[in-house]
Amino acid sequence: MFIHNFKYSLKVLLKNKQLVFWTLAFPIIMAVLFNMAFSDIENNEKFDAVHIAVVDDEDFRNNKMFSETLKSLSDGEDKVFEINYVDEEKAKKMLEDSEIKGYLKIVGSEPEITINSNGVEETIFCHVIDEIKSDSSIVQDLGMKYVMQKIRSGEYQMDFNQAFTEIADEMMDSDVSVKDNSPDNISFVMIEYYSLIAMACMYSGLLSMTLMNYRLANISAVGKRSAVSPAKKGGMIMGSLAASFLVQIIGLVMLYLIMIFYVKVDFGNNMPMIILLSFVGSLAGLSLGVAVSVLIKAGENAKLTALIGVVMAGCFFAGMMGIMMKNIIDKNAPIVNYINPVAMITDGFYTLYYYNGLDRFYIDVISLLIFSAVMILISLRGLRRQRYDSI
Amino acid sequence: MYDKVIEVKGLTKEYKELKAVDDLSFDVYEKEILGLLGPNGSGKSTTINSILSLLKYSSGTINIFGKEMKPDAYDIKRDIGVIFQEVAVFQELTVYDNIDYFCGLYISDKNRRKQYVEDAIELVSIGNYKKFYPKQLSGGLLRRLNIACGIAHKPKLIFLDEPTVAVDPQSRNNILEGIRKLRDNGATILYTTHYMEEVEQLCDRIIIIDKGKIIASGTSDSLKKLAKIEEKITVEIHRLSEEFLEKAKKLEHATDAFYDGKMLIVSYNGGKNNIANMIDFLRQNNLSYLKVYSERPSLNDVFLELTGKELRD
Repeated sequence: MFIHNFKYSLKVLLKNKQLVFWTLAFPIIMAVLFNMAFSDIENNEKFDAVHIAVVDDEDFRNNKMFSETLKSLSDGEDKVFEINYVDEEKAKKMLEDSEIKGYLKIVGSEPEITINSNGVEETIFCHVIDEIKSDSSIVQDLGMKYVMQKIRSGEYQMDFNQAFTEIADEMMDSDVSVKDNSPDNISFVMIEYYSLIAMACMYSGLLSMTLMNYRLANISAVGKRSAVSPAKKGGMIMGSLAASFLVQIIGLVMLYLIMIFYVKVDFGNNMPMIILLSFVGSLAGLSLGVAVSVLIKAGENAKLTALIGVVMAGCFFAGMMGIMMKNIIDKNAPIVNYINPVAMITDGFYTLYYYNGLDRFYIDVISLLIFSAVMILISLRGLRRQRYDSI
Repeated sequence: MYDKVIEVKGLTKEYKELKAVDDLSFDVYEKEILGLLGPNGSGKSTTINSILSLLKYSSGTINIFGKEMKPDAYDIKRDIGVIFQEVAVFQELTVYDNIDYFCGLYISDKNRRKQYVEDAIELVSIGNYKKFYPKQLSGGLLRRLNIACGIAHKPKLIFLDEPTVAVDPQSRNNILEGIRKLRDNGATILYTTHYMEEVEQLCDRIIIIDKGKIIASGTSDSLKKLAKIEEKITVEIHRLSEEFLEKAKKLEHATDAFYDGKMLIVSYNGGKNNIANMIDFLRQNNLSYLKVYSERPSLNDVFLELTGKELRD
């Protein structure tokens, strides 16, 4: 029964032109369009330093981590920033006059970023400041650790030059240290490609939802016919999900082949991790499609609208339409992104891109697996309650 | 083996204030075609869906093949075939694949299934369309495919819920012929429709339902005897004054007469020479007419008398 359902589910999915377009063709078309749109930016424009201002006050001057790092990032040919060290009034005026993309003010030890819009340069500015902040806390932690170790061993006379050397060495080995964010390494185009893969993963929900609708008697006539047959619902659903997953994997493989060999995206050493994240992300998409199909008591079109709405809202909060949104949500309503599968996928990709360590990446993978399990369990519970199909 | 294939006792289905099916009791016997006749919204489909456990009913009992019918009664479902009012096929699969898929939900042996699928295709005469997709078929062919998908596994009990809705006369005849063949092959059939001609042609017994209640049951002939009239004479006549209409009402054995601007219809409760008397009446009054014909009362007349409304209202 499983193989019978699997075989015909596969045929149904591959013969459905709309589904084939949105799940297989659309991500590929987008990848090619991104390539056409962004290749000139990356190749020709090289990298224009982002014009920013820094509020040059006591707090900033005392924060060596920020002052020294920003100084180094605004030096040389490959500089990331063109920095204006001004007072706050002047920084505001410059931002109003669009002379700068944003300004940084250090309050206590915390950085405060002010930007006016949500473009690529603003995104780079926010990311770099986030990274410095991240490094800063690592240094503080390591410094504290160093001091405590020395005190415990009775060494009250500390050689701070040696301390910095040791901390620097430990940072190099640290699992959570940030990557080199020099201009050569900063590629917002990569972020767009990762977002595209995340979107493709979530579109797998369309596949599972389409097949689930064929299994539910209160949604389709085919569902009614299946419901009066002796075939058990569970077996039919498993066959359908397996077929959906296979089609999704075929779609992702095609997308990766196009990205690697035609668009020439360099995924570097991250490929196995990217594939793992794509698989788990696809599973989350599939389970979301099942849940929408089972739990929303409405017609086929209403379910489709609900699924696309949920995915799009997830994309928006995860920062696909502007990375700042992810930062805003992370700071003000972190719970939203803890339950948002799109945020889990994009965060996994950003983690691969920005961090050397894999701890946070694995947390994202596990979160996606938990999300998938919860969706499937809720759906199974919903299906069990529907002993009668209530057509 | 089974005398009563379906036993329905006191079936009631309520939707808040509305009783869609109200204390319905009836039996369906082995190898018979039972017609469930009623206007749209009378409760026919609700009854079928309740019997098939697609709907949770409010009260009553339903036994099929001597066992209680439940959503998980897979052994009973194995011998049931259902043809729904809506065409229930995959648009993405060919005619052959659709039949094979649904047959495969009942029959796992590939070789046996292949033969069954071919038999179903032959039964509904769609052999030339095996590789066609549903959207390439006409309405009539689509209905035939719908039937093939429901009966390919050779069920012992078949539910046909208005299978000829919106079908051209040629396809309708083909479908009705196929249903007869199924009965001849040993299947028991529960057939719902609001087309009285179909039940008259096809069904061994008929149950007429309205507002969820059985209002009459029996064979076609026994039901027709419930009508107070015995004969209806229709005259196609272009002009008829009120005076002549009143005269027609007073013809021997006539119980009623009405004229709709084109047809004069006179009802009789007896008499042997009513049509000859009508022609004499027309000649004597110098009325020119095109056609005169006599009919026995139809099930629609029975329904009209019992409920005061037409079957197809």
